[in-house]
Amino acid sequence: MVAPKPISLKALNYQRPETHRGYTDHFLDIDLSVPTIAIGTIDTKIKQTFIGGKGFDLWLLWQAVSGQTRWNDPQNAICIASGPMGGTPSFPGSGKSIVTAISPLTGSVIDSNVGGYFGPYLKFSGFDALRITGKSAGDTVIFIDGVAGKIEILSMTGLPSDAYALSDMLSQHFAADKKTGVSVVSSGPGAANTRIGCLNFSWYDNGRGRVRYKQAGRGGIGTVFADKGLKAVVARWEQVSLKTNRPADLEAVRAVAKRYAREIVELDPKQNEMARIGTTHLVPIMNDFDLLPTNNFQYGSHPAAALIGREAFEKLFDPGFDGCWKGCTVACAHGVRDFVPFTGAYKGCKVFVDGPEYETIAGCGSNLGIFDPFTILEMNFYCDTYGLDTISVGTAIAFAMECFERGLINRDHTGGMDLSFGNRLNALELVHQMAAGTGFGTIVGQGVRRMKAIFAERFGADPAMLKDIGMESKGLEFSEYMTKESLAQQGGYGLALKGPQHDEAWLIFLDMVHNFMPTFEQKAEALHWFPMVRTWFGLCGLCKLPWNDIVPEDNKATPEPAKVMKHVGWYADYYTAVTGNNATPEDLITMSETVYNYQRIFSLKMGYGTREHDTLPYRAVGPVTVEEYESRQERYDRQLTETHQVDIAGKDTPWKVAALRSRREARYETLKDAVYKRRGWTDRGIPTVATVKRLGIDFPDVLAVLAENGVT
Amino acid sequence: MPVVKFWDGAEMITVDDRPMPWHAGMCVADLLAGLPDGHLYAVVKMDGRLIGRPRFAGTQVPDGARIDLIPMIAGG
Ligand code: SF4
Repeated sequence: MVAPKPISLKALNYQRPETHRGYTDHFLDIDLSVPTIAIGTIDTKIKQTFIGGKGFDLWLLWQAVSGQTRWNDPQNAICIASGPMGGTPSFPGSGKSIVTAISPLTGSVIDSNVGGYFGPYLKFSGFDALRITGKSAGDTVIFIDGVAGKIEILSMTGLPSDAYALSDMLSQHFAADKKTGVSVVSSGPGAANTRIGCLNFSWYDNGRGRVRYKQAGRGGIGTVFADKGLKAVVARWEQVSLKTNRPADLEAVRAVAKRYAREIVELDPKQNEMARIGTTHLVPIMNDFDLLPTNNFQYGSHPAAALIGREAFEKLFDPGFDGCWKGCTVACAHGVRDFVPFTGAYKGCKVFVDGPEYETIAGCGSNLGIFDPFTILEMNFYCDTYGLDTISVGTAIAFAMECFERGLINRDHTGGMDLSFGNRLNALELVHQMAAGTGFGTIVGQGVRRMKAIFAERFGADPAMLKDIGMESKGLEFSEYMTKESLAQQGGYGLALKGPQHDEAWLIFLDMVHNFMPTFEQKAEALHWFPMVRTWFGLCGLCKLPWNDIVPEDNKATPEPAKVMKHVGWYADYYTAVTGNNATPEDLITMSETVYNYQRIFSLKMGYGTREHDTLPYRAVGPVTVEEYESRQERYDRQLTETHQVDIAGKDTPWKVAALRSRREARYETLKDAVYKRRGWTDRGIPTVATVKRLGIDFPDVLAVLAENGVT
Repeated sequence: MPVVKFWDGAEMITVDDRPMPWHAGMCVADLLAGLPDGHLYAVVKMDGRLIGRPRFAGTQVPDGARIDLIPMIAGG
């Protein structure tokens, strides 16, 4: 198919700012409403304070919005940035972008990290960050051509809505004769008709001769993208080498990259085999530890889990090199070739499915009571095609299914559909309905928080039960880990800035399995250090996976094996070599603290970011129902008697559920206190003036937000 | 005629590429208990299959098994 003829709405020829020590010191600012294209500068103070990536995004977003801005106001901005090390080939995991916006799910700041080639190509085209505000009439494409030094806002009426067809066409259209030189950011029809739209970031897989995808899934940024009338943002760049970032010390970058890449090639086959089976190894492991969410997070394991884990997907994945950035030796971005969907517009056609990753398997599989890898593949494919976040889709459908099974909703509400757990055809039907904006799918596509309100107000469902089993916090759907037996991970989800997503902290093994942090203070320390180190990757254009998914052989002999300090040291060396700014491992933590606190205060500016927003549904903390309790009765009885010294003799299960609940909820509140204290926050969860001064973010507008909230 | 018994490779396993003796009835928990750092491992890979600690005691190690100790500490 040939792309429709573009009509130029605005164009700017520019002198490309050269990359120097990982930065271009410029950002691209596009307002779709007028439309305008402007180039802004990033001064040294901003660079030192915010580092890059999410830091730059938040700084740009803060300037664009007021505390009253809503997700669908033209002032809302989609910001995309790589980071100083972003775009380095051969250092594993150096191609990430971070995207931020005001979320249609949470009403506050959301961030989402993603692979693909866009972030590096944007930077090499001259821009450390991109900010898009305003709204267009629709069918708008932004083309950033770093090779020709031209930026255009184009109207392209008649483009396909489906993401794969769209990216394929635009890659062909804008690539000249080099498709690997183009990366497309797009969404899809599901993004326009729900609040859980994702963004697809493409790269061209030369070996397979096709466009591939990674998703910025969380928080509905795809929905914001669609609301702005955007069809796609395209970046074009050509040559990438170790020199393209013009690092301060090229030889040092080369040395640390070689060391790291070599270690991964040697150890990954002995450890998790991510280059062969991606993150699917997590399925049997989570299942063994009772951590694989099953039937809307009621249970953590299922006898059929083996059908949807590593052993299934090692047979289904198409063998080949699958790095989502050039030279990433972890190469975990696998896919399935020649899959034939049995529903929807692609029924009976051969398609390529990018994925699934663990989250999609658990969210669209076990959590829906579905243990069929082909249904999971089909949901994965259509979510990507429609521009829907597989985590929110899975968690939202799981909630609807449990409500159906408990009689909180019925066929009158679902349009006649049986939504019992395991009903794979109706799970798929809901995905199609979400994309089309029809039927019960329009309600599910609003996300769990709004479904709870609709089920209570319109369908008469019990609000207390909905609150306990609706797996969202801050308005964001949970990602796919069970947290009932790990207080630290309850904090990892409940205290995460954007909502319950595991990219901030994943402490289940350290806490529940190894019991490395028995006290509240130790948990609070972990809930300081781990979110900071993970935040740092998102400042620099890096992927977190190489840090601790492949572990040096001598790591176990180190004082704190979980921190994988040898790798953290290599990251400090890498940062120093690229930017020329000397950094120690401790400095990385401070860099993150600055941005982390700024984001917390940003949430405060938007009307959130205080203690009452760090709450969890009780399902994340303990057994809600008698069935859940009785399914693990020995465990819970023992906890009541041994941990809490409660006499349970002669007590029935509802009594024990309530007794356990009061204790577990109290523990979570105590944890909050400990974490706030460790982070330098007030007991309401607000950074103190001393904290923002120490971190150098005591800007007048930051202090004003604190003052409005009684912190002076 | 003397009986000639051919060694068939039995009664040995490999753990992280190193040979280790095997005995009938050995389970994964027994194997790890015999290692100085066995308590650190929550997951092992045995002949390509992943096994988590809750199943260590109930999973038999077959003669000739190849075992890799997975240092899974902070994934997700
Ligand atoms: S580790 Fe996987 S997700 Fe991360 S950059 Fe490499 S291929 Fe992409």
